[in-house]
Amino acid sequence: MNIPPEDYNKYFEILELGYNAPLSEVRSSYLRLRALYSSDSIVTSAIIYEFPDDSKQAILDQIDEAYAKLREFFKDKEADHGYKERPSVAGSDIEEYLANVTAFSGPALKMIRERLVVELKDIANFTKIRRQYFEDIELERFEALPTEVYLRGYVVEYARYLSLDPARVAGDYMARYRTWKTTRGNRS
Amino acid sequence: MEKNKGCEIWAIGGGKGGTGKSFITSSIGAHLAAKGKRVVLIDADWGGANLHSFFGVNRPQNSLSDFFEKKVPLKSLIMNCGISGLGLIMGNLPSLDSGDIKYAQKIKFFNHVKMLDADYILIDLGAGSHNNTMDTFLLADKMIVVIIPEITSIENMYHFIKNVFFRKLKVVLNSHGLKDSVNDAWKNRGIHGIKTLKELIAYLAGISPHIKDIIDKEMSDFRMHIILNQIRSSRDITVGTSIKSVCLKFLGMHTQYAGYIEYDNCVTSCINKKQQYMLTYPFSHVAKSIGRLSDNLIYVKEVTAATDEYSPGRL
Ligand SMILES: Nc1ncnc2c1ncn2[C@@H]1O[C@H](COP(=O)(O)OP(=O)(O)O)[C@@H](O)[C@H]1O
Ligand SMILES: [Mg+2]
Repeated sequence: MNIPPEDYNKYFEILELGYNAPLSEVRSSYLRLRALYSSDSIVTSAIIYEFPDDSKQAILDQIDEAYAKLREFFKDKEADHGYKERPSVAGSDIEEYLANVTAFSGPALKMIRERLVVELKDIANFTKIRRQYFEDIELERFEALPTEVYLRGYVVEYARYLSLDPARVAGDYMARYRTWKTTRGNRS
Repeated sequence: MEKNKGCEIWAIGGGKGGTGKSFITSSIGAHLAAKGKRVVLIDADWGGANLHSFFGVNRPQNSLSDFFEKKVPLKSLIMNCGISGLGLIMGNLPSLDSGDIKYAQKIKFFNHVKMLDADYILIDLGAGSHNNTMDTFLLADKMIVVIIPEITSIENMYHFIKNVFFRKLKVVLNSHGLKDSVNDAWKNRGIHGIKTLKELIAYLAGISPHIKDIIDKEMSDFRMHIILNQIRSSRDITVGTSIKSVCLKFLGMHTQYAGYIEYDNCVTSCINKKQQYMLTYPFSHVAKSIGRLSDNLIYVKEVTAATDEYSPGRL
């Protein structure tokens, strides 16, 4: 593709970023905005009544488009300069992958996170939950994890950060946890 | 009349009563004074002037009404409130509460304010979208709104921002000899299919390229600074970043998220004990947040989404 970089400025604007923002910021801004406009936060419901029903969807579509375009942009930049900001992931299609996820297991979550180029320390910094817990969640080291109520909370935070549906992720994940717990109970 | 060089006027207003405008005005004032700045606070909450309470001093005898009615110079109305470098001018204008102050009078008041010998002048405007409030707001160097993470307060703020910008459009188009364009468009909004401010702006911009240029310039210059008060968890911090996004996406308005302040019971107990909060709890989280957001206001910086520096991790 030979579109000059200026044409991408509007996509940076849609994601509320400066024109020099790196891929990592593009991604985190995308996730943040996606979470904001796909949920019912007090911030949007305080204004939404003035606007047509589909206005949030229109914003989401714009955000998705901007993110897709900017991923292309960064892929081109990599190709041009033979340089990579982060390993390998810029172009991978997360939606397609998500559609094929049957259950949110630890390894599935890890895969999604890595495709989104999110580091565990980003989630830990944001949520103020220890990085180690998230690592244990991904590796399903259930014995190292805290009790069910806390664990569920951590999984929800993790899912939120990645803009995944927290209820579904926690549902899948906690089912796996309970299976482990019962088998362990049977053994001992 | 020359504006006193280097003096900045900040107006704090908007939204609902009880969000903490007066507390924040008094605290920023105390903070700037402690940093060696010369500060004058003006209590212009025509209805509920109570800024003096945050310094534990009694209701002063003189007030702004002496300036408007008896032509007493503003400077002589400055009273001491127990902190060096910090002066206070009392509001309390019952006779002016009901009606509009004439625009010329507001300008005159503002010119006198600008001549006060200070580095920062903070005007506590009180709640509501009265024309007096909005005009004073628009004349300030920085427009600051205080909100809390509560749907009513946020709704109020959107309303306020829209009203202030609408007022601004009127004043500006008026000064370009296009006095009636805004009023007409709004009056006939049914015919033009205008339901929101955004649609009104689009309609006006469509009238002529000249008007479009004026509006584009005003919109890109228009900046409200947002302070989020009384947060109760670190998750609340993102309310400010989200509001910034919503203002941009739904209203087309740029805003600055200047900072947030934690909820702290000591704020109320200080008022009741006639203590000044910043002097009583200078090392509290709230005091640190006040310091940080004051710097952000001075240097036009803001809280960015979930940066380490701003995640308190302590709530
Ligand atoms: N950060 C805070 N933590 C706890 N209480 C607060 C805080 N900010 C304001 N308050 C309380 O809220 C009340 C309203 O504050 P005030 O500054 O008078 O609001 P406004 O001027 O916007 O009407 C006050 O009684 C004050 O004690
Ligand atoms: Mg007040």
